[in-house]
Amino acid sequence: MRKKTFAAAALLAAATLTLSACGSGDSDSSPVAAVSEDSSKQAATVLDQPFTKPNLVLTDTQGKQYDLRKETAGHPTLLYFGYTHCPDVCPLTMNNIAVAKKQLPKAEQDELRVVFVTTDPDRDTPAALGAWLKGIDSQVVGLTGDFTTIQTAARTVGISIEPPHKDKNGKMVSTHGTQVIAFSPKTNGGYLLYGEGVTVDQYAKDLPKIAKGQNP
Amino acid sequence: MRRFAVCATVLTGALVLAGCGSDDSAAELSVSSAYMPQPVSDSMAAGFLTISNKGGTKDELTSVTSDAAGSVTVHETVDGAMQEVDSLEVPAHGRLVLASGGNHLMFEKLKRKPAQGEKVTVELHFAESGTVEVEMPVESATYTPKTGH
Repeated sequence: MRKKTFAAAALLAAATLTLSACGSGDSDSSPVAAVSEDSSKQAATVLDQPFTKPNLVLTDTQGKQYDLRKETAGHPTLLYFGYTHCPDVCPLTMNNIAVAKKQLPKAEQDELRVVFVTTDPDRDTPAALGAWLKGIDSQVVGLTGDFTTIQTAARTVGISIEPPHKDKNGKMVSTHGTQVIAFSPKTNGGYLLYGEGVTVDQYAKDLPKIAKGQNP
Repeated sequence: MRRFAVCATVLTGALVLAGCGSDDSAAELSVSSAYMPQPVSDSMAAGFLTISNKGGTKDELTSVTSDAAGSVTVHETVDGAMQEVDSLEVPAHGRLVLASGGNHLMFEKLKRKPAQGEKVTVELHFAESGTVEVEMPVESATYTPKTGH
């Protein structure tokens, strides 16, 4: 959270510069532009050792069994772990992908598998997931099921999620993954990682490559 | 109640900040870069903004209300988990930044789903400065604030 705050502060570099020129007040509480995020740089991290696609069998938004390996074999696939009671990062990530995907030729859009696995399966029933994803892109596959199964699968691709729990006010706290993993249609390996803050344009630039299993 | 025009440019914030007051002056707040990404449904939405304080005294954002929502809470994101916080500090001669991936306002029980192009009126309640009303524009679901460079 601290790092994120500084990153956000860095984006407002103009204001920060003015602040530091001011030279009064308690300077240690002023945000310092210590981290710069260059949005023009390559968004994806190419993995030397691709992840094996998780052996995950869950329930889709139609209530049907969905075998991730079987259903996505030979398809370019984007995998994300999130939940629908998430106002910020989860819908932003999914909307960014959905908008970028629409820039692909129709045939490639149909080939692409975007899979959203809930980290909050108690609240994200197949129906709840379906309703939420319909507001983003009806082609997205929404999966729900046993939390431990989901957590174990997430861990195999380097994503750590905690069980939903209640905070001191009795409100549910859920966690979402911070990364999107792209799987190659050629090898089925998870060969690209996307962190938070990846824009529509960056996904749009990379998706044609991912569709072919190439490095962006 | 004070109403601030939210013209949402970083430059404005910088210009306002450039006029530094003396160190013991009261908190003097202004709000910039406010927006709400168009939410997926009417059950939940996020809001982002930057609160600048050109005064020499810190202030605290203690609560938020809006006619558009049954509940507005202030959250921080830690390791991918959202946590509600009681208050957030606006440092003297500093800023409180609510930005995607970090701190955010969470709107629940929305009267209806806000649509891109609309504005949502939000009242920010501060420990020292009282209430500041902000007109928060609803932007596209994939809106990313421009950073001026």
